[in-house]
Amino acid sequence: MSLTIHARDLKRYYGSNRAVDGIDLEIPSGRIVGLIGPNGAGKTTALKAILGLTGFDGQLEVLGRKPDKDRDELMEDVCFIADVAVLPRWARVWQVIEMTERLHPRFSRERCMHYLKNTKVKQNTKVKALSKGMVVQLHLALVMAIDAKLLVLDEPTLGLDILFRKRFYSNLLNEYFDEERTILITTHQVEEVEHILTDLLFIKDGKLVLNATMDAVHERYREVMVKPDHVEEARAMNPIHERVLFGRHIFLFDGGDIARLKEIGELHRPSVADLFVALMGEEYENGESTEEAA
Amino acid sequence: MSTRSISTMWTLMRRELWESPGAFKWAPITILGLTLFFIVFGLILGSRFDNEMAFTLDAIRQFADVPTDQKRLFVTGALFAVSGLFFQILLLVLLFYLSSCLYDERKDRSILFWKSLPVSDTMTVASKVLTACLLAPAIYLVIVVITQLIVLLIATVYGFMAGINPFTAFWLPASLPKLWSVMALGLLIQGLWLLPVYAWLVFCSSWAPRVPILVAVAVPAVISLLQHAWSLLSSFSMPELNVGLIILKRLGSGILPSNIGWRVESSGNNIDLADVEFSEELFMSFSNSLEYLARPEMWVGIGIALALLAGSIWFRRRATDT
Repeated sequence: MSLTIHARDLKRYYGSNRAVDGIDLEIPSGRIVGLIGPNGAGKTTALKAILGLTGFDGQLEVLGRKPDKDRDELMEDVCFIADVAVLPRWARVWQVIEMTERLHPRFSRERCMHYLKNTKVKQNTKVKALSKGMVVQLHLALVMAIDAKLLVLDEPTLGLDILFRKRFYSNLLNEYFDEERTILITTHQVEEVEHILTDLLFIKDGKLVLNATMDAVHERYREVMVKPDHVEEARAMNPIHERVLFGRHIFLFDGGDIARLKEIGELHRPSVADLFVALMGEEYENGESTEEAA
Repeated sequence: MSTRSISTMWTLMRRELWESPGAFKWAPITILGLTLFFIVFGLILGSRFDNEMAFTLDAIRQFADVPTDQKRLFVTGALFAVSGLFFQILLLVLLFYLSSCLYDERKDRSILFWKSLPVSDTMTVASKVLTACLLAPAIYLVIVVITQLIVLLIATVYGFMAGINPFTAFWLPASLPKLWSVMALGLLIQGLWLLPVYAWLVFCSSWAPRVPILVAVAVPAVISLLQHAWSLLSSFSMPELNVGLIILKRLGSGILPSNIGWRVESSGNNIDLADVEFSEELFMSFSNSLEYLARPEMWVGIGIALALLAGSIWFRRRATDT
């Protein structure tokens, strides 16, 4: 089985700041991977290393190539959209399309035009005259028209309206994704992507906190809305997180006895957002409590 | 180079034209317009003082009778003079273009888009240098050629009015094929001669945190000031080799528009213009340009340029949006 991304002890330090601090990663093809983490956790640095935009220590191979040495070759098979609109502002839309067509051997003009057909993006407009949403539409059309093996999206829908975001993800899933391709997404809007993800990565302080398939996550983590009279009992069972919603106590368990959990309350699949809070939030909560104590 | 690299390079160079139409399209067209405006303006003004253009037409008839070599000197000289402003502006445009060529993409973050395309950093840097050394001079040369043809056409109309044969009076002495090849060769060799200056600007634009052209000027200026200060303090004399002066001298002794056959020593006090023999060989000569290839400074400069370009590629490879 060929791996799309293979990292062993991947590190990137900026002085004393350990942006990426020893990540091990194996992503096969045909996956949609969500890389989720708080601001400053090292998401963007990790993506930059994968895309050959920054140096790194440790081992990293993307599609069998070394990204820091062979970025130009790698980019024949990898596409990315950064968290901000980065299309050249001086260019006209047709110029951007023509340059991509001439510089990228796997670009298909027909496909690009197909994606642009339903937008308001006009060929002769300058990029700087397009609205933010239209720039993103243009960039996505360009990228989805490239027959790449790995697509990296860093906050692709930041600042776009909900209609566009929904359509974007359904396009991505229905028209773009297949078992040959891999998509790596970072986003803060976890709710929108959790239904399309096959794999989940949580990153915190440069380290991976969670690295599992969605199936394994659903297998392992359980959310229980506990009946009021069982709260103490639930607390005794080592939940990893507890929150209160409309007076109901909701506990998150890592593993645990299913039969027992069913007795004390209703069993749910935890949402990625809740899991994220449970696994990453403790530090913030502790921080708050120490402040309160002081 | 494979076909694909050539087509990639051509696309990258066209990209430069798209990005800076002011520098490479509108600037030369504006000079063309200005040149023609002043010529036509001059002719109209002249005709107001010259009743029925008797004086002008008489002068043209006299000109048709002067010896051929003098006709050649006059016509080629006039056409060279027409090209002067174009090539001076070209040099100025290139200095600004090169000093921002790797900086703008970092500033507006479009470097992330360019780096998402399968184009190596070497190709990118080379495309900027080739645009400055080949494409931009070629565009300016084409517009110079158009200007010269229009000037000759105007002269032809006057020639007909004076009742002389404009072909033998103007077109033949203009020796256009030679004139244009001399200019083309001059531009090519100028590109090599100024390559260290160009490469220095590209190098500064590849890492300067802001205003790369100021950095590019300030660094040699400060070095040469320090050199002066040190040499005045230590031996109470001017430095023998001064970085700033070397760069200025190289810019000043560029090949075009000043590719004139006489050499003026910058230290010399007595320039006797009477010693200069005026003939078209002053500027209509291939050897004036080719002679630069024999100078050791030319090759030292190219060596320095290659080192600076390697540095630019190194910085481009590491550059991202932050």
